[in-house]
Amino acid sequence: MTTTSLTPPATQRRQAASGGRPPGRSGTGTGASRPGSAWAAPAAVFFALFALVPLVLVAALSLSSWDGLSEPEFVGLDNWKKLLDDPVMLKSLWLSVLLTVLGVAIQTPLSILLGVWAAGHQRNRAVLSAIYFVPLLLSATAVSVLWRAVLDPNFGVPAQAAWLFGDGNLFGVQSSAIGVLVFVSAWQFTPLHTLIYQGAARAVPQVLYQAARIDGAGTVRQFFHITLPQLRNSIITSMILMVVGGLTTFETVLILTQGGPGTDTTISAFYMYQQAFKSFDYGTASAIGVLLVLVATFISLIMVRLSGYGKMRSTMEGL
Amino acid sequence: MRRRARFPRSSAGGAALALMLSLSACGGGTGSAGGDDGKIHVLVYGDATNKVEKQLIADFNKTSDVKAVLDTIPGADYQAKLQTIINSKQAPDIFFNWGGGSIKPFVEAGLLLPLDDFIAKDPGLKKKFLPSVFNSAVVDGKAYGIPMRGTQPVLLFSNKKVLKDAGVRQPETWEDLLAAVRKLKAEGVTPIALGGGDKWPTLMWFEYLYDRVAGPGLFRKALDGDKDAWTGAGSRKALGMLRDLVDAGAFGTNYDSVKFTDQGSPTLLANGKAAFELMGSWEYATQQDSHPEFAEKNLGYSAFPTVEGGKGDPRNLVGNTNNFYSVLKKTKHPEAVAEFLKLQYSDKFVKAQLGVGNLPTTTNTEKFLDTAASPHFAHFQYDLVKKAPAFQLSWDQAYPQKATTSMYQALQRFLNGGLDEDGFIKAMQALPTF
Repeated sequence: MTTTSLTPPATQRRQAASGGRPPGRSGTGTGASRPGSAWAAPAAVFFALFALVPLVLVAALSLSSWDGLSEPEFVGLDNWKKLLDDPVMLKSLWLSVLLTVLGVAIQTPLSILLGVWAAGHQRNRAVLSAIYFVPLLLSATAVSVLWRAVLDPNFGVPAQAAWLFGDGNLFGVQSSAIGVLVFVSAWQFTPLHTLIYQGAARAVPQVLYQAARIDGAGTVRQFFHITLPQLRNSIITSMILMVVGGLTTFETVLILTQGGPGTDTTISAFYMYQQAFKSFDYGTASAIGVLLVLVATFISLIMVRLSGYGKMRSTMEGL
Repeated sequence: MRRRARFPRSSAGGAALALMLSLSACGGGTGSAGGDDGKIHVLVYGDATNKVEKQLIADFNKTSDVKAVLDTIPGADYQAKLQTIINSKQAPDIFFNWGGGSIKPFVEAGLLLPLDDFIAKDPGLKKKFLPSVFNSAVVDGKAYGIPMRGTQPVLLFSNKKVLKDAGVRQPETWEDLLAAVRKLKAEGVTPIALGGGDKWPTLMWFEYLYDRVAGPGLFRKALDGDKDAWTGAGSRKALGMLRDLVDAGAFGTNYDSVKFTDQGSPTLLANGKAAFELMGSWEYATQQDSHPEFAEKNLGYSAFPTVEGGKGDPRNLVGNTNNFYSVLKKTKHPEAVAEFLKLQYSDKFVKAQLGVGNLPTTTNTEKFLDTAASPHFAHFQYDLVKKAPAFQLSWDQAYPQKATTSMYQALQRFLNGGLDEDGFIKAMQALPTF
């Protein structure tokens, strides 16, 4: 976990780790040669300025009624009470989670397969990998505008492929609208995760494969018994990125579906935008924002617990 | 979006700005206070009409010491961005709006300059406009807006060639329309193009049917806070008629994926894939811009069909009564602003607006109607507006901003079957009023 320059000499490390923890695994000791807290200052200042201060302000704003024109007016918990009774709020949280889960479920297998493939030494691999990487270089907004045009029912692909798309009413039905959102996100973000897995797959020691081959394991068995277990930490990293990305999805919804049909794709982040910039009800929007922070924190705590991310055991043990 | 998105896409805000800067090269500095750039900023909705505004500002800058700069915000984002900047340092001096409800919150927040002093100095600022239009930007007895651009009634546009091929005439009554829908559907044409993805085009059908069936009184009552207005027999009859139209297949099945703002529905009409489109009069300029040949030869138009036994006058209109320029209190160049506003009733401005298919509401408009891009269209519209006993402002502009999202959702869900009559009525009753 620590970088080489920050690693204290082995003797000190053993001393520092003598607080009952198993030696060798603790990078969290407070050894004398660890950098002082001053080094953390720049990051801390930026974090405070751009994350903590706004968060506190938003929390304060969530207790007020403000239209952006006059002075904010303190209304206590009114916005919160209203939100708890609001069916759209609950639905939006559920939709956010649904989109996130679908995103993880689709992007993870795809990017693992692509990443492991890209880690190999096949012909044309480098060229194809570079092409796969392109969507990641585009802005989410541009990608959404592009797909909106491609999926236009009268002038896009659906008009030419009625056998697949029917009447092309992709944005008018909840299931297909969600399908489009998941697909477009996957199209854009799979390359990022592919990259993570490519790097991780390259780092798997070749001796493991050599040993497996001697034991007679084929490609498929090697994949399931060596590659996948070796990718464990990368899978967790990539999933956390996906969950964070999924819960903060916004542009794709704004451009592709605008939360429609009805409120059928109104995810929490978009609902917050609607309240703030369509209805000019910044108080309620702030309350949604705070709620989103709470939900996201809760989900990431659960993930850290379940995945053992906090411990992040090495996959290199025993080698 | 609460506001009409007229014909975005075609706007080129950045290009407009660059052009303005190059045009306002000479003239020298004026004694402006620090912090501001010594110019008056005019913020308008970005669309095809911008070319008139550019020309107007270029003319203004030829003679004025204080230069004007045109800023545009494209299409659907206008109101959101306006409200975000209007109380900040980036606020413009003069801005485009829809009068009435759209500026009421700004007036209440004390941001706008009453124009009564300007009018006292130059009575033309009031007298040169049709009073019914001028008055829709009067709030609490004070004038806050000078009409600009034109009046925009909603009309039933059609593709004349498609109608001819199907042996259908421009419908005069509701029955005509239903018959035309059946015939066109049998021909394999989508009878009516609808940009349901934008939602406000859907609203137009509700507005006209409610007006024709129940008269303008129902909506006025509802807006005044009488929730029972929505439950009347007229309300149910209008909804039933709309349901009939949807069930007859008038809009096809994928209208919720079609938008007006990305040129979807106008292109359907121009290509002959659809026969009708109910749209504000800006449809004309949109088509002129993107399908000039179609606009010239095959674009048909008429008033909304009459409804037999309905309470509303068949001459009633719905749509945008007009757009307005309002002035911020904090402007540092009130004299220049007043001079700029005077241009809005100049002959030159009227002619330029007519040239792009807009219909200004100045008293001198009538004598220039023959110079319009399409004199027939200009005369037709002008007569409609002049004779209309009632001109209902679009519901999404009449209601407070915070009602818009819920209203749009109810419209969309009623049309696609997600809400029945009772559900729709309940949703409308739940909307906040002023």
